[in-house]
Amino acid sequence: VFMQDGAIVTNSNSSESKTSLKGLKDEVLSALSQEAAKVGVESDGQSQSTVSITVVGASGDLAKKKIFPALFALYYEGCLPEHFTIFGYSRSKMTDVELRNMVSKTLTCRIDKRANCGEKMEEFLKRCFYHSGQYDSQEHFTELDKKLKEHEAGRISNRLFYLSIPPNIFVDAVKCASTSASSVNGWTRVIVEKPFGRDSETSAALTKSLKQYLEEDQIFRIDHYLGKELVENLSVLRFSNLIFEPLWSRQYIRNVQFIFSEDFGTEGRGGYFDNYGIIRDIMQNHLLQILALFAMETPVSLDAEDIRNEKVKVLRSMRPIRVEDVVIGQYKSHTKGGVTYPAYTDDKTVPKGSLTPTFAAAALFIDNARWDGVPFLMKAGKALHTRSAEIRVQFRHVPGNLYNRNTGSDLDQATNELVIRVQPDEAIYLKINNKVPGLGMRLDRSNLNLLYSARYSKEIPDAYERLLLDAIEGERRLFIRSDELDAAWSLFTPLLKEIEEKKRIPEYYPYGSRGPVGAHYLAAKHKVQWGDVSIDQ
Amino acid sequence: FFAEKHSQLDTSNGCATNFASLQDSGDQLTEEHVTKGESTLSITVVGASGDLAKKKIFPALFALFYEGCLPQDFSVFGYARTKLTHEELRDMISSTLTCRIDQREKCGDKMEQFLKRCFYHSGQYNSEEDFAELNKKLKEKEAGKISNRLYYLSIPPNIFVDVVRCASLRASSENGWTRVIVEKPFGRDSESSGELTRCLKQYLTEEQIFRIDHYLGKELVENLSVLRFSNLVFEPLWSRNYIRNVQLIFSEDFGTEGRGGYFDQYGIIRDIMQNHLLQILALFAMETPVSLDAEDIRSEKVKVLRSMKPLRLEDVVVGQYKGHNKGGKTYPGYTDDPTVPNHSLTPTFAAAAMFINNARWDGVPFLMKAGKALHTRGAEIRVQFRHVPGNLYKKSFATNLDNATNELVIRVQPDEGIYLRINNKVPGLGMRLDRSDLNLLYRSRYPREIPDAYERLLLDAIEGERRLFIRSDELDAAWDLFTPALKELEEKKIIPELYPYGSRGPVGAHYLASKYNVRWGDLGEA
Repeated sequence: VFMQDGAIVTNSNSSESKTSLKGLKDEVLSALSQEAAKVGVESDGQSQSTVSITVVGASGDLAKKKIFPALFALYYEGCLPEHFTIFGYSRSKMTDVELRNMVSKTLTCRIDKRANCGEKMEEFLKRCFYHSGQYDSQEHFTELDKKLKEHEAGRISNRLFYLSIPPNIFVDAVKCASTSASSVNGWTRVIVEKPFGRDSETSAALTKSLKQYLEEDQIFRIDHYLGKELVENLSVLRFSNLIFEPLWSRQYIRNVQFIFSEDFGTEGRGGYFDNYGIIRDIMQNHLLQILALFAMETPVSLDAEDIRNEKVKVLRSMRPIRVEDVVIGQYKSHTKGGVTYPAYTDDKTVPKGSLTPTFAAAALFIDNARWDGVPFLMKAGKALHTRSAEIRVQFRHVPGNLYNRNTGSDLDQATNELVIRVQPDEAIYLKINNKVPGLGMRLDRSNLNLLYSARYSKEIPDAYERLLLDAIEGERRLFIRSDELDAAWSLFTPLLKEIEEKKRIPEYYPYGSRGPVGAHYLAAKHKVQWGDVSIDQ
Repeated sequence: FFAEKHSQLDTSNGCATNFASLQDSGDQLTEEHVTKGESTLSITVVGASGDLAKKKIFPALFALFYEGCLPQDFSVFGYARTKLTHEELRDMISSTLTCRIDQREKCGDKMEQFLKRCFYHSGQYNSEEDFAELNKKLKEKEAGKISNRLYYLSIPPNIFVDVVRCASLRASSENGWTRVIVEKPFGRDSESSGELTRCLKQYLTEEQIFRIDHYLGKELVENLSVLRFSNLVFEPLWSRNYIRNVQLIFSEDFGTEGRGGYFDQYGIIRDIMQNHLLQILALFAMETPVSLDAEDIRSEKVKVLRSMKPLRLEDVVVGQYKGHNKGGKTYPGYTDDPTVPNHSLTPTFAAAAMFINNARWDGVPFLMKAGKALHTRGAEIRVQFRHVPGNLYKKSFATNLDNATNELVIRVQPDEGIYLRINNKVPGLGMRLDRSDLNLLYRSRYPREIPDAYERLLLDAIEGERRLFIRSDELDAAWDLFTPALKELEEKKIIPELYPYGSRGPVGAHYLASKYNVRWGDLGEA
């Protein structure tokens, strides 16, 4: 039925897309039409296919908080195929009913009081099952395979494994799943999430091991930032608007800033983090991926391989990061309004004397014709004063500005800036200089604004929904290819090694502050002012 | 004067900004004031009993006074044929004065003070003696100080020259400046306009003539140059490489309503297009001036106007509104107006396509549209950008790619705003694109009331800032563009396309636009 729906909507898409669609289902389906058409071709005459989604590590946090809710949301919106089964797999002993109880606690219907929410939940939970087993036991996966086959009931079986487990057991689980629980007549795909190693060597070793059991096109490396609405929109902004592309180069852009901040620390969960640090946790993947999308050349088409080719090209044009272009920090305890916020090393799961950075700022450069000399600044930190993720594009000064006299001495304040706020409060705005209304001529910066909450009433789907759906549909655009991953690690590995070998001491900053001052000096060195700490953001 | 301005800086009211503008507009001026110290300003509104004077000029003068923008020493004279006492003039004026924001401090006090400085002098417009008497009274008020005199001619055009002659010969300042503000119509074609200029110049030098186009005093028209020249993101796009067409649109939602006598002589093309819309076009399209000085800006405007092809008859559509019944109400046709001749062919609507033959704009249609008795009231500039070459997202748009191009809209009135229409992904799974606006709505960004165009223009005239006034050569160039088409329309007695009162105007405007592959932006889905 799903396939049929897809086909129908494909036909009617062009007429409908003019008017704003009211029905949610219509909208989602029509949105899918492109992919649906593709899938439709693949599976024509195979209408009796089924998808089994196995969440390996089902009792973990990510599974409970993100994966099951995302699967339910997809089901609720009618995006899952007619026939599907969800299996939880982990070591804990649990019955199907216990799993369902656990899952049901975190399910929500996207918008309160939506029709049939309770019913839909019931139906969804009925399709959820549990299988307990060791992650490295082929026998246990063989048992899983048997159960899956039962549910598939002779249909063409497609299988998706979501590895929500620690990286040290990735390969074991992949080996077992691939050798003992692969689909015989459909596809088998595996979603893995970071960390993908901790440097070039370990990442390459992981890739090599995965490839013993999986083909490149079976591996879906998730970077959930690529599933965020405004990151998805980045290419749309660039390539479907005439007014941005001419400006998208060193000729007009002075610098680009990628900023990520969290307003909380590790809060007792620093065990994993301490092994990696903020550079591996945020910069090398999320921020670098956004950078690549931002800076890539126009791809031949929107197909996954074309886009990923362009991203790899950008990454390979980048200079490896130099130690002097990086500032690292770590938060220390801070008392404010009678409340004491703990330092990073106060966290019991963090080793005393840990030098792991919880903050980092870096300047990167792309040595190609488009971007030569333009600083790309990244900043990421925990326990800062605010929570946000944004892209800031600062444009150059107006050459021979007629209004120089009206803008005061700080010309940097008078340049245009494009801000894409990924979270929270998704928005796009362009800062322009404008005449303050009134007699006389006083200039001021104003924003040309697009606030998503004001323009789009629908709730924005979680990144995991989009990514799961894409994986089911075989759309690889938002997943990271092996060569991309290699290129990303090549940029950061020398830096990380040097920081660790030299045991560089991070600059301490108070919990809840704006981060270490070093970040400003780094920016100043490249003639940049951070856009997120100026008076008028 | 200078000191007062200085003290006003802190209060951050209108005058703080005005002080800034004083500085910008030239050291020359500041110097003038500083060295002369004891100078006084006399503003004479000629035609004081008329409508414009009552509705716009006196209120604007009061607003300037209220905001502390007038010099310390000033007097306002009303001059007209009607016999009035000072008191009667004051009564008449006071009914139209308002303090800009309700319940602002001392509004009543300020009004009192202002009215005390208002006087009346009755006289004929062509009588040198009457102006000599006025001169006497002015001198009394000036009391030996250096006198600067500003005449605002709020009178019918046929007596412009008489008044200028009398005022200039009998009531010019002897030791300060004398300036004359005139408002349209400046003739009705190249010849009559040239003649008027020639006559004015018998008595006045070019620097003394301040031709007002009150659209140039509108906030967003003033802002046009700021947008272009102080933002890096716009200037690279400002050419035929990226701009597909530009639309200048003016509409009123009422007809002549019993006041068609003047209008019928001129028609919408002379009344709106040849001046207001063409002026905006020139500001929009001009090259970057050497500086923001008046002469530099006006020189660039003249260059653009001279690069334009005269309007061809086949590039104009004219219309006239007819009576219309809606919801039980009957709206009159243009010719139903008793002040309009019964078979008048005067256009109340016009659309025109114009071209600028220079390197920047070759081939880009500049479309103008102006009309009375339309469905809405507004004035806006719309810039439609080209299609994205090799658009990757073509499949995500419907067949009509025109709907998918970027558009910059500058709304001059009402609800001043700037917005840029961009294509954006509709949030949600899948890839559906939609046009969204990057918005700047003045009302929400700038809570202060925006001053009336007349305030700005009067202040500029007082300060000798000529940027927003029209120079003689500009006027000549503007008429040269429209005169041939106007003559042809009238000689051939082209019959206007009738459109119902309150409608969107004649269909012909669409055909004209489509001839140049343009769609009017104001009639889209919006």
